[in-house]
Amino acid sequence: MIYVDDDHLEIRFPEVHKNAGVRINFQRTLRIPDDDQTYHLPPGLGQFPIRHIDDFDLKADNHLKERGGIIMPMFQAEALWLNFDSLEVFGDVDYPVAVKIGTGKICAISGDSWTSTLNKDPQDYLVVPEQPWIDGYNVDTGIVRQFVAAPLGQGYTVEEQLTGEATVGGLQIQAFPMKKEYYDKINNPIMEECYDEMRSSICYSMEAPSMEMGLAPGGSMHQEIYEDPHDFEVWDLRKTQRCFVTIANAEQWMTVTGEEPAASPCSSHAYTEAGLPWFKYYDDDQVAIEGAKRLGNIKSIKNVTPKTGDNIWVDEQSTIKQKIQYIIKKKVSSGKW
Amino acid sequence: MGFGTYIRAQREALGETNKDFSVRKVAKVIGVEPAFLSKVEREIVAPPSEAKVIALANALGEDQDVLLAMAGKVSSDLLNIIRDRPALFAELIRKLKTEPDHAVLRVVREVRDGDW
Repeated sequence: MIYVDDDHLEIRFPEVHKNAGVRINFQRTLRIPDDDQTYHLPPGLGQFPIRHIDDFDLKADNHLKERGGIIMPMFQAEALWLNFDSLEVFGDVDYPVAVKIGTGKICAISGDSWTSTLNKDPQDYLVVPEQPWIDGYNVDTGIVRQFVAAPLGQGYTVEEQLTGEATVGGLQIQAFPMKKEYYDKINNPIMEECYDEMRSSICYSMEAPSMEMGLAPGGSMHQEIYEDPHDFEVWDLRKTQRCFVTIANAEQWMTVTGEEPAASPCSSHAYTEAGLPWFKYYDDDQVAIEGAKRLGNIKSIKNVTPKTGDNIWVDEQSTIKQKIQYIIKKKVSSGKW
Repeated sequence: MGFGTYIRAQREALGETNKDFSVRKVAKVIGVEPAFLSKVEREIVAPPSEAKVIALANALGEDQDVLLAMAGKVSSDLLNIIRDRPALFAELIRKLKTEPDHAVLRVVREVRDGDW
């Protein structure tokens, strides 16, 4: 079952286990510059609101409701990252869940066309709780290109660059739980070994514009997509839940929902100048998978010539000096007592 | 187990490894006198206000709704939800009274999957 709870998308598998599930939220963030640098992780600046798409009259875009799922607003060229949390059950080990992420039905991890199952080679999913978040397309080992919203039809999105078509857009999420018998084996009392996680519009068309957006690659940043630490057979491929996330242009969000979208975040430069931190995540226990070859060749938004009008990318002042805050995930042993 | 006894047990368990969980320090964090917290724990006085129970839940890492229920209270946001549509929610809660957890979860509105 999938439901919306306080702007979180909660995917649960109560028929598998009471702990089986994952909570996902969509974090607004700074758009990092697209230059020769590879940046560290930008902060979360609050959650994007998410709503059931069925609840709104999308006028000319009502056909988008056929895909079901949820709808959320993004400004053109605004960036996001996805945050993953296990369901909190005190005293139990977090329930492993494999999560596939697609944009325009292109897998953001393998670069392959969307399939409704898990694939091990190349790995086309991430594993929660090992992977706490994803900020972009897996373009190289330890490097992603940031998810940035772009209008469909201008050639920016990964979908358009790889398929030549702009028919899907949005964001696709599919989750698979670990089989119960495997979870029962690893679900030792947390006192034995606990995890201490310090994680702390511009429209160029003369016709009424579609509100639909897709995701395109922005600047590059350091982020590892971790290798599945489990045997592939642990995943329950028969029990799966999926959700289509329609991304609506924030300029039209108020017309559709009556809600005012949050203002676009400040620039990376202004954020850094204010002395605020960027983040570097360490988890020495995990191994990064290779970047997807197919995604390694995609152009970032800045380097795409749109079909009409000017490029939506606004160049920011580069060579920002990042103040880095380290986030370390380490196992803490409680010792013998 | 009563509210006070439970609070005391949880606080003392945390206090075994962390000195911040003495009666004095927890009382300071939630904004009450240590003597009052001590009386609450010994169940000499009734549980404190909703705001203090929530502060206690946060201080001890407990679920707010569970602690409020143990204190015989319902959080004001839940009360407001019920007050908005009292007949509907009263009927719903009564019907779900004996259902297992997974069936209760099924009542939550699911995100519909479509054709994509």
